[in-house]
Amino acid sequence: MKRILKILGIFASVSPLVAEAQNRFPKPDFESGYIYPEFSYFVPDEMLWNTVDVVLLTIMMSVVAWAVLHRRKRAPVFIVSIISVLYFGFFRSGCVCSIGAIQNVALALTDSSYSMPVFVFLVFILPIIFTFLFGRVFCAGVCPFGALQELVNIRDFRLSKAVSSVLGIIPWIYLIFAILYAVTRSRFLICQFDPFIGIFRMGGDFGMIILGGLLLVASVFTGRPFCRFLCPYGVLLSLFSRISLLHPSVTPKCINCDLCRNACPVDAIRPPYENKIKESRAAGVNRLLVYFVFLPLMGLSGALLLHVAGDSFSHANKNVRLHELIMQNEANPQDVQPVDVEVFFSQGGTIDELASRVSEIRRQFISYSTIAGALIGLIIGATLINLSLKRTRKTYEIDSASCINCGRCFDYCPKNQLINKTE
Amino acid sequence: MNRKIVRNIAIVSAFFIVTFSIMLITNYFQIRGFNPLQTEVIETLKQINDENSGNTELQEQIRQLDLLARRAYFVSISHLETGVYLLIGMLVVFIVAIRYYFAVIKNVPEKEIDPIDEWVEKTKARKYVNRAAGGLVTVALLFAFLSSPYLDSLKNGKPQDEKTVMTEMKNEDSTLSGEEYGFMDDSAEVLAENTEKPKENVSVTAPDSTPTDKPDSTPTDEPEIPKVTYNNFRGNNSSAITAAKNIPTTWDLNTNENIAWKTDIARQGYNSPVINGNKIFITGADEQARELYCYDLNTGKLLWMLAADNISGSPSEVPETSHDTGLAASTVATNGKQVCAIFATGDLICTDMEGKRLWAKNLGVPVNHYGYASSLLSFGDLLIVQYDNSNSPKLLALDMTTGAERWNKTRTDKITWSSPIITYIDRKPQLILMGNPSISSYNPNNGEKNWSVDFLSGEVASSPCSANGLVFGASEYSSLIAVDAISGEKLWETNEYLPEVSSPVATKDYIYLATSYGAIACYDAKNGELKKSIETDTEFYSSPIIAEGKIYLFSNSGKAFVYLANSELTLVNSFETGQRTFATPAFTDNRMIVRSENQLYCVTKKTIL
Repeated sequence: MKRILKILGIFASVSPLVAEAQNRFPKPDFESGYIYPEFSYFVPDEMLWNTVDVVLLTIMMSVVAWAVLHRRKRAPVFIVSIISVLYFGFFRSGCVCSIGAIQNVALALTDSSYSMPVFVFLVFILPIIFTFLFGRVFCAGVCPFGALQELVNIRDFRLSKAVSSVLGIIPWIYLIFAILYAVTRSRFLICQFDPFIGIFRMGGDFGMIILGGLLLVASVFTGRPFCRFLCPYGVLLSLFSRISLLHPSVTPKCINCDLCRNACPVDAIRPPYENKIKESRAAGVNRLLVYFVFLPLMGLSGALLLHVAGDSFSHANKNVRLHELIMQNEANPQDVQPVDVEVFFSQGGTIDELASRVSEIRRQFISYSTIAGALIGLIIGATLINLSLKRTRKTYEIDSASCINCGRCFDYCPKNQLINKTE
Repeated sequence: MNRKIVRNIAIVSAFFIVTFSIMLITNYFQIRGFNPLQTEVIETLKQINDENSGNTELQEQIRQLDLLARRAYFVSISHLETGVYLLIGMLVVFIVAIRYYFAVIKNVPEKEIDPIDEWVEKTKARKYVNRAAGGLVTVALLFAFLSSPYLDSLKNGKPQDEKTVMTEMKNEDSTLSGEEYGFMDDSAEVLAENTEKPKENVSVTAPDSTPTDKPDSTPTDEPEIPKVTYNNFRGNNSSAITAAKNIPTTWDLNTNENIAWKTDIARQGYNSPVINGNKIFITGADEQARELYCYDLNTGKLLWMLAADNISGSPSEVPETSHDTGLAASTVATNGKQVCAIFATGDLICTDMEGKRLWAKNLGVPVNHYGYASSLLSFGDLLIVQYDNSNSPKLLALDMTTGAERWNKTRTDKITWSSPIITYIDRKPQLILMGNPSISSYNPNNGEKNWSVDFLSGEVASSPCSANGLVFGASEYSSLIAVDAISGEKLWETNEYLPEVSSPVATKDYIYLATSYGAIACYDAKNGELKKSIETDTEFYSSPIIAEGKIYLFSNSGKAFVYLANSELTLVNSFETGQRTFATPAFTDNRMIVRSENQLYCVTKKTIL
């Protein structure tokens, strides 16, 4: 009950801040000659808040690392989740987030004219460093998106391994496309299609709010759908988590009760396994060989396919759209001249200049799309290879790439509770 | 706490959440797009008040209704906010209750007697991944095919006869707007009128137009419709930069070199031509009549004429004006659907593109010692009137279709002869006006003032210009300044060469202006540094226009100048046209329309006819 009161208390202290957002409304006209007084607004010290963000981010990840790796307890992670939702989510409106910062980093790496704020870089790199050291402590409850899903999760209906394997490819594709559109300065896809930002800001794109609502409803019944099947930053962290120096482990002297596996919201605990279905060794090796041979071919096919589609992707760029609009207008002079075209010409723009800019953008799109296609092909190939490997396990094992350090398994593990009590 | 109580709390809160969500979503769709201030009652009362000004009782009633509407609006917003907070509060209650309820029920697994084998799952997963990859490839191929140019050519390249295409285009109500491209303001649409054959039954006897060379095309050919419109004084938005292409840099009115036609104008006027589709509009006026003329772009024939008469409130005697301003100094404005004209009498008329009078009103005879000269400006369906005068200066926005007043702002500036412009800053329109002593920016949608900078003095006749987020204003009796259009901050000021009547034009790099003492100057737009000045020993009232990177400019004596729009003002050509010219030319693709003192003529490259 204390926990409930705490949640309500923190929420009550934050809600008046949210109420500050007001709709604009036209001022009345006065014929009496009344002159409105000059308004001056206090500009918040963004630098200060950014510093607070970074400090809090570091502290919260440290707390999670300590709780999960040293204390093997879930309670601190749960508290961090509440703070994260309230502070990073509702108070800071979910921006800047580490997930979106991928785009800034990608753009900064490919475009020297773009200067990325240090704060954004820190928000991007700190979770990666912590993941390399302690596993995915950021995902545990520091990320407001993950924390929100964690807080509303009540029952955990497990998806089949086959379905989750296919869905697991989506974040990779999303990541690749987000980078493609960012490096071509077309749009920040992750920010544009952020499903939770509308909830944190209590307003925004209606479709996105609905999507966020649906994801939250799904989170009630299954663990972290966004983190597992959509989050592009999650796939980056999973790479580093795979090679992390420390990460959660199954309680020593495991009694094989299976409670931890059943409690895991992201299906990261693998039970002991011995191959029961006998397949000839030759058949298994042959399959693997075929996939290895096809791996470069899949990469090449993907590259070729997106090379062809690259030009179409460039339509997302506003300059390309404007150029097409002008060309359409040239071809159909009777049509309404769109405002964008008016503005372009009225500001001294020339078609030749725009055309050369557009051809450069298209060239970029085609070359980056080719790389993106190759990567998608390789990822699908690698997934197939991974699914063709047979591994025998004698004990329960934690898949460090998938584990999000939420500590839920510790709550369920009777052996762990016993150890905690004796301590 | 009793689990039963917690469960009941969860059920009640869930019921509340569902009901409340439905209510909020319904409310969202109901209030979306509803403007509480523009209720029919208030608008009607405002219109009645406009027609019978001075009714204090009515004005008080409008004020009360306005206040009531505002109060209702804020109350509904407040209710909505309260609703959202209530919903979030109940969500928190529901989640806490449901978590508490399930907290004691550990998710204990049942021992699987026959667990699904991991390898079977992996085999199934491989199958799914393969299918998904196949699906992705199919989608990508389909996407590539649908967006391929080959398909476009198949779609568009059918030997469909031109007539069918034209009919389809005419019938198509094109709704392409800036909104589709992320630009929310849709009020600034500019229409090019559909092609139509010249009207046979012209309502007046047209002065003979004198086509100087027989065009190659037969008279039965459908005339090509120019795509570039030129809807206001100095073009669309009064920007002084046109997208028109293929404009000659040399012509001769004596030998008719590059002259398509020339025609006499019935009545005098210093206003400039505007072009929309195949139609040119100008006005003319004298003590006998005030008239709006529509000429055919291809032949120079007068298509129709409309007299501004029988207007309620129009003075029986025309106000006195100076000889170099006259009664028709203001240029007309069109939006492709209506065309409006104003005269020094305060008479404002608006017609459709065929010359059918839609509405007319007198704005009150302006007290103006030279004569009213500010040009009209079209902004989508809005007609902007800078009604600066000595008795009741105001800024008006009228509905071009009905003449209804959309908004009205009292001006505190002294009388000017300048004209308004529209500029887009961060994709939002700003209406820029020169006054005395201020250059000001307004929101053209509601007339709210964004900023103003005091720097003008004396008699202000020149109009502002804008480029690259900056606004420039200049007048002979003060200075040339650059203002940041977002903050309204003055960035720099200089006063070496200043225009008196002619208006400057700006690109992102330079500002060009012509003075009444014959100097043409180029300034650096970033810092106001004078880059080049040229003395021409003539005087300029006409304003420079940039087309295809070249500046076209006419002196009062009729000398034409064509310069490259660079810092050096590289001369392309300069020659005497032989006709005194005060108006600013209008442009569309392949054609420039010039109004000289007594004639209207069309400059074009003969080869294209």
